[in-house]
Amino acid sequence: MSELAVERKTKKPRLNWSKKTKRSILGVSMVLPSFLLLLVLVIYPVALSVMESFKSRDGMWTLDNYLYLFTEPHMLNNIKHTLQVTVLSSVFVLTIAYSIAVYLRFNHSWIAKMVGKLYFIPMFIPGVIAIYGFINFYRDNGWIARLIGEGNLPSIIYDMKGLLMINIWFNIPFTTMLLVSAMSSIPNAVIESAKDAGAKKRHLFFQFIFPLTYKTMLVALTFLFMGIVGSFTAPFLIDRNAPQMLGVAMQQHFSSYNEIGQASSMAVFLFLLCSFVGYFYIRSNMKDSTKSY
Amino acid sequence: MWYFKALPTSKIIQFICLSVFLIFFFGPLLNLLLLAFSGEWQYPHRLPTSWSLEWWSFVLQDQSITRAMGLSFLIATIVTLLSLIICLPAAYTFARIQFPMRRFFLFSYLLTNAFPKMGLYVAIAVLFYRLGLMNTFVGIVLIHIINTLMFMTWIPSAAFANVHQSQEESARDAGASPFQVFWHITLPMAKPGIIVASVFTFLSSLDEAQGTFLVGIPDYRTMPVIMYSIIVDYPSTAGAVFSVILTAPTIILLLVARKFVGGDALAAGFKMK
Repeated sequence: MSELAVERKTKKPRLNWSKKTKRSILGVSMVLPSFLLLLVLVIYPVALSVMESFKSRDGMWTLDNYLYLFTEPHMLNNIKHTLQVTVLSSVFVLTIAYSIAVYLRFNHSWIAKMVGKLYFIPMFIPGVIAIYGFINFYRDNGWIARLIGEGNLPSIIYDMKGLLMINIWFNIPFTTMLLVSAMSSIPNAVIESAKDAGAKKRHLFFQFIFPLTYKTMLVALTFLFMGIVGSFTAPFLIDRNAPQMLGVAMQQHFSSYNEIGQASSMAVFLFLLCSFVGYFYIRSNMKDSTKSY
Repeated sequence: MWYFKALPTSKIIQFICLSVFLIFFFGPLLNLLLLAFSGEWQYPHRLPTSWSLEWWSFVLQDQSITRAMGLSFLIATIVTLLSLIICLPAAYTFARIQFPMRRFFLFSYLLTNAFPKMGLYVAIAVLFYRLGLMNTFVGIVLIHIINTLMFMTWIPSAAFANVHQSQEESARDAGASPFQVFWHITLPMAKPGIIVASVFTFLSSLDEAQGTFLVGIPDYRTMPVIMYSIIVDYPSTAGAVFSVILTAPTIILLLVARKFVGGDALAAGFKMK
């Protein structure tokens, strides 16, 4: 498989072309099984969904589903709520995760070591269980309420606060992990020499640490956004009944009202939002790329 | 008080942050653990008033629950192995072989995350009805593989790309066949990335509930699916017992894989070249 290496050493221009084609065919054939799976299980259903979103209940082409999505007041509220939850959650997660990552990089106390060993554990807890634990912990007669006394706790469960908290809980480990890795790849020498040159802490942060990690923040933001904007389980079990996150509204329109077209238009709308974020992610990846193919 | 005064402010702040961190992340889990072993825990009491194991015997004796656990692990194992077989060749290809439209193929895996899962599952359910895959084992495995395609391709691919080609070349010069080089040089060096991806695949399969519910009902009820009904139908003690049982294996997995589960392999997977 490392014929490429051999090929490079024993350059035979005439053979090169056919060898290149051969390798192309080999490449495509090795990618094909997983891509076929993607085609059948993702791309085709997505296309179906997009088509469905432009169809009325009796199968005629129509824009009604999108009209419904963008003019119906409660749907507009749902959209607003979805964006609000997604943006707030992402901002909180990024801020907290970044702070933890900076702390773990530059602090070597036993507390830092302990945090470093513990922070990713939530990633290993099944989602439903975490939510279940959350509800038992924070509900109005939950453990926290028992510990600090009745009436001292604002309502958290069945409220946006609870949803934001569980989103933070779920997403901190993954985001922190990415950022810790980005931080640890900043060489000590860079920081030491900047310090020797008399850089202040703030200066050091904005001139060196932030620029070297902001691409990773973009990666983290992409996956945070995509994960939260279309989420179902957490908002379904924790959020208020109205306004809803679009993921919940979608499920309801599909299984309770049997409105496949409307549910699909929501899915497509969420997909467009994600594509918008994904575009920046892909573009930034392309820019760094050293390979041109 | 004098003790706290003697401490520097930064230590105190660190200590407060640590407490908030511990309560926020582990409070809910500790709560479940206490609930699981409590006999009676009425409202104003801060701790259970009596301890008991009665729900443990109930949960462990219920056949449908133990069957669900077996099923979940069987599915997670099969999904992990299958996606390794399907995705590793692709991952290697993306890292090493030049072929047309490489980037298009590579980024197309992002689609699994960009389209909302609920919408995707609904569309797949329509497809599965036509293909007769509803309420089948194959259908569930396929639904689970969707969630793992991206991780299983991107992370190992970055791991393969980070293996220096000069090492492969020198092994080739020493007379090793391409397959030997892959097996003895490339694969071992890319192992951390492959293990991280496998661990995530296994976990995401164990955790998957929405798609399994849609495709596997009524015959295939995995642990998370059962958990939903337990939340609704049983007292919180039973739910807590089940939660502890459900979490234990992943914690064991965590301890085993801890050495490998680092952010580096993960982070590399999301920076594509």
